[in-house]
Amino acid sequence: MSEYNHLFGRDCKLSGSVYAVSEIKGALSLIHGPAGCAFHQRLTPGRLYEPIYRLASTNITERDVIYGSEETLREQIKNTYKRYHPSLIVILPTCVSALIGDDIHGICQDIKSQVPCDLIYVDSEGFSNRNRESADDLMQEAAKSWIKPQPNACEVRGCGQEEVVKALIDQLMEEKDIIENSVNLEIFGRYRGCFERCLKEIQKIFTDIGISVNTTILGCTVDDIKRAPSAQLNIIMRDRMAAARMEEKFGTEYFRKRPNHYGIQGTERFFLEVASALSLEGEAESVLKFETKRTLEKIAEIKNTLKNNIFAVSASGFLINPYLTKVLKNDLGANIKYFVVNTQSLRNMNASDETLKIMLENMEKLIEEWELGFEFIINPRLETMRMISKKVDYILSDRPLPDNHAADIGAKVINLSPISHLLFLTSFKGYVDIGRFLVMKTQNRTSIKRSYPIISRFRYNPIDYPLIQDDSCVASCEMWSEIWRHRRDERSSQ
Amino acid sequence: MDGGKFLGAFRAASGIRDALVLNHVPVGCHWGAGLLKSFSLQNDIRQACTAMHENEIVFGGESSLKKALLSAKSHHNSPIIIVLSGDVPSIIGDDCEAAVQSTGLGKEAVIINAPGFKGSMRDGYEDALLSLSPLMNEKEQIKRSVNLIGVCPDDFKADADIKEIKRLLSNAEITVNSVISNCSYEEFTRAPAAELNLVLGQGVGLAEHMKEVFGIPYLEMDYPYGLQGTMEFLEKICESLDVAYSTEALDLEPYKKIYVHLNGLYGSSVSVIGDFHARPLAQFLAGELGFDIEVLSSFEEDSFEKDVMNSNTTMLFGSSFELGIAIEMEVPLIRFVYPVFDLVSISDAPFAGTCGTKFLTENIVNSALGFSSDYLRYRKA
Repeated sequence: MSEYNHLFGRDCKLSGSVYAVSEIKGALSLIHGPAGCAFHQRLTPGRLYEPIYRLASTNITERDVIYGSEETLREQIKNTYKRYHPSLIVILPTCVSALIGDDIHGICQDIKSQVPCDLIYVDSEGFSNRNRESADDLMQEAAKSWIKPQPNACEVRGCGQEEVVKALIDQLMEEKDIIENSVNLEIFGRYRGCFERCLKEIQKIFTDIGISVNTTILGCTVDDIKRAPSAQLNIIMRDRMAAARMEEKFGTEYFRKRPNHYGIQGTERFFLEVASALSLEGEAESVLKFETKRTLEKIAEIKNTLKNNIFAVSASGFLINPYLTKVLKNDLGANIKYFVVNTQSLRNMNASDETLKIMLENMEKLIEEWELGFEFIINPRLETMRMISKKVDYILSDRPLPDNHAADIGAKVINLSPISHLLFLTSFKGYVDIGRFLVMKTQNRTSIKRSYPIISRFRYNPIDYPLIQDDSCVASCEMWSEIWRHRRDERSSQ
Repeated sequence: MDGGKFLGAFRAASGIRDALVLNHVPVGCHWGAGLLKSFSLQNDIRQACTAMHENEIVFGGESSLKKALLSAKSHHNSPIIIVLSGDVPSIIGDDCEAAVQSTGLGKEAVIINAPGFKGSMRDGYEDALLSLSPLMNEKEQIKRSVNLIGVCPDDFKADADIKEIKRLLSNAEITVNSVISNCSYEEFTRAPAAELNLVLGQGVGLAEHMKEVFGIPYLEMDYPYGLQGTMEFLEKICESLDVAYSTEALDLEPYKKIYVHLNGLYGSSVSVIGDFHARPLAQFLAGELGFDIEVLSSFEEDSFEKDVMNSNTTMLFGSSFELGIAIEMEVPLIRFVYPVFDLVSISDAPFAGTCGTKFLTENIVNSALGFSSDYLRYRKA
């Protein structure tokens, strides 16, 4: 549902903050704004099917807008503690409280001694949402980093999550003695199925190497966050600005997971490089040798099965990343003949021509360099897809396609989106699971075939699946895309 | 927790089923309103947004609104554009009227000021209907016809309930002229043809306005839950229209089949929270199923959670957002009121009317029988 709704709009910066706070055990968001903000933010896209039931709000009214809402905030901070007894209250200003100019910093300082829990505030007002260009900047930086690691150049302000981490660093973390060979692990997703499993695997490998995990940010307690500066190294997956801030404030160096850390060899490299940053290469080598060998043994049988089928990979979303296609080809042994990229959905996400050019060029360069041996096709027409489908057994697609689309092109489509999260994990086991998923999908386990699925009886928009071909829905989608594009043009012309 | 004025106005505006609702707000308000609607109406996306940002805070949002209106004109063929102006334009003082007038839309446009901080969801709904009322035209009266006012398209069971109410009224040869807010633009404009307005919990401001302007009387009605509630609902309407009313023969056979379960549930302590649907539902639960209502509360009150936690509630009635309390208390939750986002309703299984009483009772009994506190404990963990 979240992905579908992104065809018609974007969620608020506030929702990113609400989600990030919900990751912290014992923390509670206090939204400083009208009731309507808190009402729907309980359904934050990060955990749409696990709403945040416990959320406080100042419910500011017209009177507050006219006379200021500082007293209302003070009162509600006390009430929130009385009602929920959290370890940490995170005050999240909204558009309204920001516009009327409440001194939230001053109130926090002033009232701290009156509530027996920690108190911080985060810049979360919705009108300073992620910069309209940021999706493009981020995509461009990602595409460049496929070839060469990039400096922290692009603006990532405004997603709401990063602002929470920065506030924690500035307002909650405490100076501590360093624990040798310890790391903090930036890991989101306490409410996702694979979180615990992935974390356990990383912790086990680190322990075997001699590295201890000081804390996992944000999936940890408030006390864990306070003592985060005792780690020798931060390991980050995304939040570079916050990591830079922590380095500046506490001197904690950071190591960033990069695109070449995907795949089995990439995962091995990741652990070796972390170990190297802590001067534990020697200890790591034998541990990783064992883990890699064990994974390759498990995958051997998968490879044997997958090599008997011919695949095309159809990418319009997360698979537009050469490292992930390399996983399918090299690690899992999928016999890929075509790699098909459709850029329309990237355009809808505000990708500029320049970004798309860099992405496609770099992708082509790497496919050639790695000698992956498949044909690279950009934005194919229906006839091309029909031709491809005749020459392969399966199309691996990163978005679900209903059977009438598949029937149009005459192919069997395997939808990879249910396992997309595994591709981004730092987990040897994750790659084995992806392999098993593909094997299962290529083996007919029952004789019952799909006859005429209900969802195949609808007409879909050829560009924005799963958008139904309805005049109003399509117009709303196109209009959103245009409004979003206008924003880019506005900035370019300024 | 109440949804606020903007959400109420959005629900009223999007209740004109072929209107484009243009939200003049930052992205988040547009996202929230659209998201809640899209859980149950995924093929009915008719909302757009001006995506106000820092630039608009500094320079004003009128230019963005104009651009969005032009974009709407070229993409949407809806007969009407309804501009909802939210918190930010209200504070920075955008002149939406001027922006709309200078755009030359060539179609009907209505501007509704609905800053969230200026009132409740109910206020937003009431004010929005009044803002839309100039669209209505004087019409020749259709005898024995009524308008239903107050039903929103994203209300849980809205379609099934409307169908059931229409069925019940048709038994008395009464037709439904317009359902507000679940009608086309054309149906909205011809609402004054009705002989009587039935206000189902909200929309009394519009009914009062229609009485003054078009001389249409109105009845404020409880939502027709339960056998008794339905009977009173029909009696009141028939009396007002001076129509002979004969009670539909009550079919108690379905209830007889589960009378032991109903006896088992008799006297159970339950709590109800909701909007205007809550009180009539509680009346059915207490009056006809024999439940003890421990707490009856509205979304606008803040004490529900505390009161329920301090009660002996064994079953909770509310929206999907009440699942948190249900998990905490390890009791089943019956969702009956907006927003419901973790259940869908696509079948003709209403909660209103005599048929609805059956489905509602079935739902309650099944929730009790199928309840597993293990499941809730798992979710809690």
